[in-house]
Amino acid sequence: MAKKSVKKTQNKSFIGILVAIGLVGVAAIGYLTTRSNDVQVMRIDTSVPIGKAESYLIGREDAPVQVVEFADFECPACGSWASLTEPDVRSRLIQTGTMSLRFYDFPLPMHKNTWAASNAVACAAEQGKFVEMHDQLFQAQNEWNGEATSKPKGKFMEYAKSFALDMAKFEDCFDSQRMIPRIKGNRAEAERRMIAQTPTFIIGDKQYPGDVPFDQFKKAVEDELAKKTAAAPKDAKK
Amino acid sequence: MSKRQALSALALAGVFLALYLTLFKLGYVGHLVCGTGDCEKVQTSRWSTLFGYPIAAWGLGYYLSVFLVATAGTTERWEAERWPSLVLAALTTWGVLFSGFLTYLEIAEIHAICRYCVVSAVLTVVLWIVSMLEWRESRAES
Repeated sequence: MAKKSVKKTQNKSFIGILVAIGLVGVAAIGYLTTRSNDVQVMRIDTSVPIGKAESYLIGREDAPVQVVEFADFECPACGSWASLTEPDVRSRLIQTGTMSLRFYDFPLPMHKNTWAASNAVACAAEQGKFVEMHDQLFQAQNEWNGEATSKPKGKFMEYAKSFALDMAKFEDCFDSQRMIPRIKGNRAEAERRMIAQTPTFIIGDKQYPGDVPFDQFKKAVEDELAKKTAAAPKDAKK
Repeated sequence: MSKRQALSALALAGVFLALYLTLFKLGYVGHLVCGTGDCEKVQTSRWSTLFGYPIAAWGLGYYLSVFLVATAGTTERWEAERWPSLVLAALTTWGVLFSGFLTYLEIAEIHAICRYCVVSAVLTVVLWIVSMLEWRESRAES
């Protein structure tokens, strides 16, 4: 009898614990989901029209293989690819003339400072310093991302100064947001191509999502080059 | 509290953890909240899916299975049976091995640690230890 009563109490407390875990679990997911929606510090004027998609070119315009990249400046995987893999891609594939890289911004809504970063890059590109600002932002994500600050402009100004940009022009460009139509256009291009994550690379007719390792990237470029080379003599004979 | 009840409660906590990560991967949760570590990098890496489904969804299935078997094993109908102990031992052994492999991938391949994954790995180890103790107990009783 006493054993049965102890068991009954044990079962009751077990059910109580399960209910408590359930309630805490639901509340935690609800809280984390709501908190995560508090994003995008830079106010983008929604009335600004979507401009023409216009990529940034790294490498020769007439390189045999044209690789397209869609990336978000605040995305850690994009930062990792840009800092660890891209230097090899540049020295072994771009500088050798095998390929060129066309970069499109794809600012994702979950990142607070990514629009501001794309804006800073566009303004640096206006003065011919796209690559410098691109590399700096990816390498120093921790200095300016949404986790670090809600006012990233100061850092971007610091970087711009180190590239000897015309600071008045850069600041005017940044504050006026006149590059926003271009960024919106690049983002729209990503949506048109149904890009699902950043970074995503398009090599030939294939999409390669994620932080693609150098060996896999190189093989994809070489396969595309081989395809083009095989097609070239036929075209020449015609 | 019996060991099966403890397994059930721990697995339920795992269900919510895996559910959150699955919702993120499927795009229902916009931004993975992670103060330390690099959850987003892990969750968007090429290792974050298996056979077309998010790893987190497989984890959700795993924790749900452990939860259901452990809870069933606490009911009057099956509490004296040995099979829940055996199934739990097999499930959690598989879980701890797979979790170990995922932790290896985080360190060696992705070069990023997600704190949610660390919590899941610890939970998996605790589940395995409790299920082993439970299995030993059930063997001694039979």
